[in-house]
Amino acid sequence: MDVFGSFALLLAFLAAVYAFGAGIAGILTRRALLTKSARNAGMAVFGLVTLAVASLEYFFFTDNFSLAYVASHSNRALPAFYKFAALWAGQEGSLLWWSWLLSVYAFLALFLNRKRHPELMPYVGVTLAGVQIFFLTLNNFVATPFKVLGGADAAGAMHVARLSEGTGLTPLLQYPEMVIHPPMLYLGYTGFTVPFAFALAALLGRYPGEKWIHITRRWTMVAWCFQTVGIMLGAHWAYSVLGWGGYWEWDPVENASLLPWITGTAFLHSVMMQEKRGMMRVWNVWLVFTTFMLCILGTFLTRAGIVSSVHAFAESSIGGWFVGFLAVVLVVCFAAWWKNRDYLRSDNQLDSLVSRESSFLFNNLILLAACFAVLWGTLFPVLSEWVTGNKISVGPPFFNKVNIPIALFLLFLTGVGPLLAWRKTSFDALKRNFAWPLGIGIVAGAVAFVFGFRDFYALICLILSVFVTLTIFSEFFRGARVIAHRDGTNLLAAVGDLTMRNTRRYGGYVVHLGMVLIFIGIAGQAFNKDVQMELSPGQSLSIGPYTIFCQNIDEVSNDNYQSERATLEVFRNGKSQMMLYPERRFFITSQITQTVVALQSSPLRDLYVVYDGRSPDTGKPEIHAHLNPLVKWIWFGGIVVVLGTGLAMLPNRRAVLVLRAATETSWGEGVAPESPSAVGAVAPRADTHD
Amino acid sequence: MTRIAGATWNRRAARALVVVLGGLASLVLTVSLAPELHAQQTDRAKALGKRVKCMCGGCNDTAGTCNHSGGAFAGPCDTAKAELKEIDARVARGDSDDLILQSFVQEYGPGVLIEPPKSGFNWVGWITPVAVPIVAFFLVWQVVRRWHRRAALAPASGPPILPDMLERARHEADKESDE
Repeated sequence: MDVFGSFALLLAFLAAVYAFGAGIAGILTRRALLTKSARNAGMAVFGLVTLAVASLEYFFFTDNFSLAYVASHSNRALPAFYKFAALWAGQEGSLLWWSWLLSVYAFLALFLNRKRHPELMPYVGVTLAGVQIFFLTLNNFVATPFKVLGGADAAGAMHVARLSEGTGLTPLLQYPEMVIHPPMLYLGYTGFTVPFAFALAALLGRYPGEKWIHITRRWTMVAWCFQTVGIMLGAHWAYSVLGWGGYWEWDPVENASLLPWITGTAFLHSVMMQEKRGMMRVWNVWLVFTTFMLCILGTFLTRAGIVSSVHAFAESSIGGWFVGFLAVVLVVCFAAWWKNRDYLRSDNQLDSLVSRESSFLFNNLILLAACFAVLWGTLFPVLSEWVTGNKISVGPPFFNKVNIPIALFLLFLTGVGPLLAWRKTSFDALKRNFAWPLGIGIVAGAVAFVFGFRDFYALICLILSVFVTLTIFSEFFRGARVIAHRDGTNLLAAVGDLTMRNTRRYGGYVVHLGMVLIFIGIAGQAFNKDVQMELSPGQSLSIGPYTIFCQNIDEVSNDNYQSERATLEVFRNGKSQMMLYPERRFFITSQITQTVVALQSSPLRDLYVVYDGRSPDTGKPEIHAHLNPLVKWIWFGGIVVVLGTGLAMLPNRRAVLVLRAATETSWGEGVAPESPSAVGAVAPRADTHD
Repeated sequence: MTRIAGATWNRRAARALVVVLGGLASLVLTVSLAPELHAQQTDRAKALGKRVKCMCGGCNDTAGTCNHSGGAFAGPCDTAKAELKEIDARVARGDSDDLILQSFVQEYGPGVLIEPPKSGFNWVGWITPVAVPIVAFFLVWQVVRRWHRRAALAPASGPPILPDMLERARHEADKESDE
């Protein structure tokens, strides 16, 4: 079976090489047959990598420890769904998983467009095959998961050694979210390859117009959505498993996942300028290129061991391959841009500094500033050591100091952008649209200040969150009021109607609302509390309004682990509220201990309790209790972001169009038509604003 | 009389003994049941503990937040505990924050600080993420202003467009961009 898997991988590599070579030949000779066979070879890669993945999974599920990779990431007692997830637990398997996801995207992109865009698709196929060749080279020749245990005897004959038991999956990964988190994140990383391929293809083939933007919009949103889910699940996993009471520590691996997400976000915004006004073509192409390159850079950072991270894979020689690939991609992108830069000239230029266009421009600038700050902080220890010879640390305080003001400015723009009209916004419209949401936001801030809300950034965040929320609701309200007035429906039905007429615009607003919820949740961090103390049965500790009474410490065990568990009763105002059972599990095979956090979550606050184990000094059980306000808002915000993205991907439901020569107006100007007769003229126009 | 007085005294003495013993027992019970506070006693020491890295090499945490995932004990490891105890001792002695952090830098090197010290080459680290966006902002502002000026100067040309045509063209453009 190992030979089968290796053979399938090798065939996949050859198929990708053929798809690349035949694709280029097809483009140069314009022979349709070559192009078609290249496409078919590109699609065949998916089938072959699938066979390799299935082969490796077969080893995991049959507890066949003759493969080094299976022996070091699984054991017999491992539950079945963790055996499935063990596929991506190590370097070699995760790279295979990467190749498989990439092959899924490539297959879908080639298959769904097999009868469309005949001038563009050959270039897309070649680009996708080029990326696949790199990863399949790693799978086949650098980090193969099909390495067999064993060796040669004295006579030189090879013997396979089959271990009776494996070392098991690291306990940190034995958590349900870990079965979902890496695939989601990898779906994000690999998904950005498709818009990259289309952008490069459009540039190389000088594909006219903004068609490639339309084609890739949903692909980009899918990748962005997966990346968002991956990041959120990663944060939730860190919060629920690592036991330090937080969800984001600006670790290089966390940062690596954030970087392409930020540039992807910038692209999803700036792309509208190209669609609507034919502007920012160079910017958009480079944003897609940068997003893809950041995916590769992030992978390089986590696998080369050049930055220290608790999440990183062991240091290996694989980093050089990534640097080489990154250099090739950069050269190809630069050469393609240089050769075809006249093709990217803008149709229009900015008419006013106070317009939707300029808000997108500044939104992009701020997003890139955030991306640069994160990248800079991640790489500065390496740079500093290289220049001064001293190893320094760049931890959360640095990232928070730099990124919090940037993030708050972004939040402000989230509220401002939708209120500005395309091309130009008058001062009166600005005043009309901004005055009351900003006023109410400031009043909310003042009230919070009076009630003892003193953290500066948290206060600004509150004011801006109220402001942005009101602007979003006002956008829904104004549009829905017109429809309700015209159709005689109630406001709620009108909101649904309005949303479905321009899913992209209103889905985008839902995403913004989700981001506001996330910001509020993060702001809650300013009010975190924690208490850590030895707590034997019969003792109690107090944190915030809660008193935690230790009833008992007992032991539980099964084939996979032995566990020591604290039974805690939580009181509030003298009344028993709940029981909590924080645990420490000792995994028998891997000989590693892991905490299982007891978490009581509510929209207002999380009571997060960790049983640290017995203190090495006194032998007494030690409990670490955290009181984290508003964390639930982050997870809820993440769900809203995903729902909003899903909504934005739905096709629009067309409104009945009534053309009428009307005075030009826009929602951004805040002129809502009052008479039903005017609605026909305005509603379809508003439909297409983003 | 003497016997009565002696018996009264004995009773009083016995009561006093019970009270003292009871008090002592309560004290012992209270002390033994009272949870032991973690090493870090002051908010200042806690804050300082979060400004130095745990130097065990096995985690990327600060000494104050070290929870040592995977270790036998999930609280601060021995290295972090030693660092926290040193901070406590220096805080109790009345040392300033700078002096305490400096002593850690001398002992472990600049990598012990969770953020780069604001000196020498590290200024590049602090200034760059602020300066680059400002420069970029300025450049974009200049480009936008230039565009704006050009747009203002560009003369209108071609035949006049009727409102109907304009609306139809807009609708077509919107339809295309909403695919």
